[in-house]
Amino acid sequence: MSKEMVKEEAPSSSGVVSEENRPFGSLRSVQWRINLGILPSSSSSSSSIDDLRRVTADSRRRYAGLRRRLLVDPHVPKDGGSSSPDLVMDNPLSQNPDSTWGRFFRNAELEKMVDQDLSRLYPEHGSYFQTPGCQGMLRRILLLWCLGHPECGYRQGMHELLAPLLYVLHVDVERLSEVRKLYEDHFIDKFDGLSFEENDVTYNFDFKKFLDSMEDEIGSHSNSKKVKSLDELDPEIQTIVLLSDAYGAEGELGIVLSEKFMEHDAYCMFDALMSGAHGAVAMADFFSPSPAAESHSSLPPIIEASAALYHLLSIVDSSLHSHLVELGVEPQYFALRWLRVLFGREFSLQDLLVVWDEIFTADNSQLHRDSEDDESSSFKILNSHRGALISAVAVSMILYLRSSLLATENATSCLQRLLNFPENINLKKIIVKAKSLQILALDSNVSSLSSTFGGAYNCSKSAVVRGHSLSSDSVSPKTPLSLVPDSYWEEKWRVLHKEEELRQNSVGKQTPSGKKRWSEKVKLSLSRTESDPSPARAENCKKGHRSSIRRSLLEDLSQQLGLEEDAEKGGCLGASNSEDDHCIEVLVEGDNCTNKESICAAEERCESGSGTVVSDENSSIFSEPASPGSGTNDHENDTEKSSVASNLFIDENDDHQQSNLEDSPLPVSLPPEDVPLNSLHENESSGKMVSAMKERRHLSGRFQWFWKFGRNNVGEETSDKGGTNEAAKSPNHDCKRNTADSLTAGASRNSSSTSKGDAVDQNVMGTLKNIGQSMLEHIQVIESVFQQDRGQVGSLDNFSKNILVGKGQVTAMTALKELRKISNLLSEM
Amino acid sequence: MVLVLALGDLHIPHRAADLPPKFKSMLVPGKIQHIICTGNLCIKEVQDYLKSLCPDLHITRGEYDEETRCPETKTLTIGQFKLGLCHGHQVIPWGDLDSLAMLQRQLDVDILVTGHTHQFTAYKHEGGVVINPGSATGAYSSITYDVNPSFVLMDIDGLRVVVYVYELIDGEVKVDKIDFKKTTATTHSAH
Repeated sequence: MSKEMVKEEAPSSSGVVSEENRPFGSLRSVQWRINLGILPSSSSSSSSIDDLRRVTADSRRRYAGLRRRLLVDPHVPKDGGSSSPDLVMDNPLSQNPDSTWGRFFRNAELEKMVDQDLSRLYPEHGSYFQTPGCQGMLRRILLLWCLGHPECGYRQGMHELLAPLLYVLHVDVERLSEVRKLYEDHFIDKFDGLSFEENDVTYNFDFKKFLDSMEDEIGSHSNSKKVKSLDELDPEIQTIVLLSDAYGAEGELGIVLSEKFMEHDAYCMFDALMSGAHGAVAMADFFSPSPAAESHSSLPPIIEASAALYHLLSIVDSSLHSHLVELGVEPQYFALRWLRVLFGREFSLQDLLVVWDEIFTADNSQLHRDSEDDESSSFKILNSHRGALISAVAVSMILYLRSSLLATENATSCLQRLLNFPENINLKKIIVKAKSLQILALDSNVSSLSSTFGGAYNCSKSAVVRGHSLSSDSVSPKTPLSLVPDSYWEEKWRVLHKEEELRQNSVGKQTPSGKKRWSEKVKLSLSRTESDPSPARAENCKKGHRSSIRRSLLEDLSQQLGLEEDAEKGGCLGASNSEDDHCIEVLVEGDNCTNKESICAAEERCESGSGTVVSDENSSIFSEPASPGSGTNDHENDTEKSSVASNLFIDENDDHQQSNLEDSPLPVSLPPEDVPLNSLHENESSGKMVSAMKERRHLSGRFQWFWKFGRNNVGEETSDKGGTNEAAKSPNHDCKRNTADSLTAGASRNSSSTSKGDAVDQNVMGTLKNIGQSMLEHIQVIESVFQQDRGQVGSLDNFSKNILVGKGQVTAMTALKELRKISNLLSEM
Repeated sequence: MVLVLALGDLHIPHRAADLPPKFKSMLVPGKIQHIICTGNLCIKEVQDYLKSLCPDLHITRGEYDEETRCPETKTLTIGQFKLGLCHGHQVIPWGDLDSLAMLQRQLDVDILVTGHTHQFTAYKHEGGVVINPGSATGAYSSITYDVNPSFVLMDIDGLRVVVYVYELIDGEVKVDKIDFKKTTATTHSAH
């Protein structure tokens, strides 16, 4: 055994694990055996060293018996005494499957497969792992386990799980030999100058050596250490001695750290790890291609576990999650390797041992669910602390790569980064983050969203449309805004769509109300400071998950707008308050309205309304959406630039919205939009007017997207502004029918629309929500870019900050471009 | 655990059409590591078939072989054993143990495999083994009556070789085995 492997850093590197949980902290193999359930833990029963030894001895006996049974040596006759074995059956060429030779050949096949993997195991630590002794042990262990579990067979990766287990055993044995050297007296029987030491498996009593040792004995009396009694030793050394005493319980078979029985111990650990030891997470499940018996989804366990990963990620960082989903990076592409080998291929060996320390310390017992209805949607992997920690570690690793992942634009490079985890990592950070996520994972499993899960991961890898992902965002009650959304592309898209909406809804219904709605919505969504957008959305949500969320958002918007009626910044808001109410009602009214336009219009209105909100973040957020809208107008480009660049969009909006109102060069898609436009005129806040204009300039593309939400809106509140609503709705309705390509088409549709107020409302609400959300994100990014001092960025986002700066500028430019685009479209119409 | 198949004297197509079906069903590729053939196959197709069973094929030339490029004798080392191969028609009297022993000493091998008599024999002689696998097809022989199809499979494991003999008697495959242990390793020159 090579000694250099032992010079690892002391267990102090694993300082993250609390000491009280690890009585055998320095002896990893013993600690892990306790954690995996092979040895009784010291806390459960007041088990002494003797108990440990007894259990160890039993498990070793079991393995030896198994080995004798299953490892076939065809030369040895089946039963020792039989005179003539039936040669017709037992010859090497026998076709009889029962013959020993048949079994021998089958084992040989399995061995060949195992050898293929073993020869490539840990080449960087080849000095240990590639030695024939080690390879032989690994081969036998894997062979016996696979023979004992024929339903699993051998899968690539099992050897990677086994190797570190054997390694920690080896390390501990090395430690033992060190201790033995120092404290010989406790291990060796030394009488009359004869020492009967056991070296390796057999000891040869060599007379020559004996004579030499006699001389040494005489000569070294002066050098001999003072013999200490057992109790005087360090507790750690004492433990080691007691564990390895040849006279303890079960004699030599019970020596817990024994080189002779490394194979047996490794097999027990491997078996416990694979079978999960009656816990929730059994590694063997990850290797099976078929769904588990009691799984609720019809997916293989590894796919389900990968889905759990993404589910957790979506809760923690929805923008990164949606980014990955949009690129088509299915979780199992990388999670398969991560989970099957428990991150063995991602970390260096020493780091891996630290990670496994953590994972094994976590309890693996199955957590019982209280409510039955959650059973259908819970993830099996998250059913235990250990499983939750495993998922949390995986998510924490993904978050570690956040910035580089968000920077990539195709799935291949994303996967490349995920599969080539960097070498020099701050492991402690990852583990600490993982622990915090573990709690979240356990909680999330209780309230897991089956809809999200099903929609995203059911059977075939359905392409997740952006709209879909966004919708899921709107559905999730807790969109975490703690992390600065770095979804650069998503925001870009959203801004673009927003502008489209605004254009198409230019003459929308109640522009003012829409504005108000928008401002509220945006305000709420913006609540990056305080208010949580989810409540806003939640409040909006009255019927149906989507529509309700949207509605709540709108309502919140209106509420907020109402609250700020008097505020300076909300001056415009105040003006639009009444309109907002209208708008909100309109929005709420919208039920199953397929009229995207209405939604768009509503959203635009909100946008404009939001644009009017000034001063606080919310207002800034509002202004930001407004600014894109304003950008649609040619003359607004300048202002838009500045608005994008700064948080104070309102001023410009105010300036431009007025002009926009007057302008309406954009094709008025909906004649009824004139109504909101008029209302806009009435509205003193220029911002609102702008939003109104924006509503007009609603791109059909936008419509379609929003129509999706609109459809889900089931709310059918009568709208006071029935007329305007309907007007708005009808255009939306029409718009919805068209594909989102031609603005003019949308415009015409808008004009032809009649009484579909509800649909319009729905659409409006939906679009408002979406616009609000996108505006929120957009604003957040920009804000983060320009407010780098704010410590909103989490620890893991530090590296994304730099990118944010660049991205913020880029985002600004992007928004600007989009606004220009919109304005061009409008000018065409 | 090296399996070596020894056979010969098939005389295909002159005296026999093919191996007996029961033998053919037993000979599947993948199990056998080496094939040594005493000769008289006689045509190339048989050689190709044997090669399909195992890529490591050694043949010596028999008097009816149409492949003229094979050597008269061959020696090879498998594990701890040295094997010698010869068709046997060169050693007269045909099938005589002492003459074959002379050849064995000449080739300096532990195991000598020869054929030509179409009859299975296996002698332990002077620290070595002299094996005649017989005729795998049971082809007619002018010196042997009642030729039974037979061949030999050797399982070489360290210093021990187990010789399995497969004979087709009355339509049934009969298996017998002979154990042989070598006293010293191949590195030592003394037998």
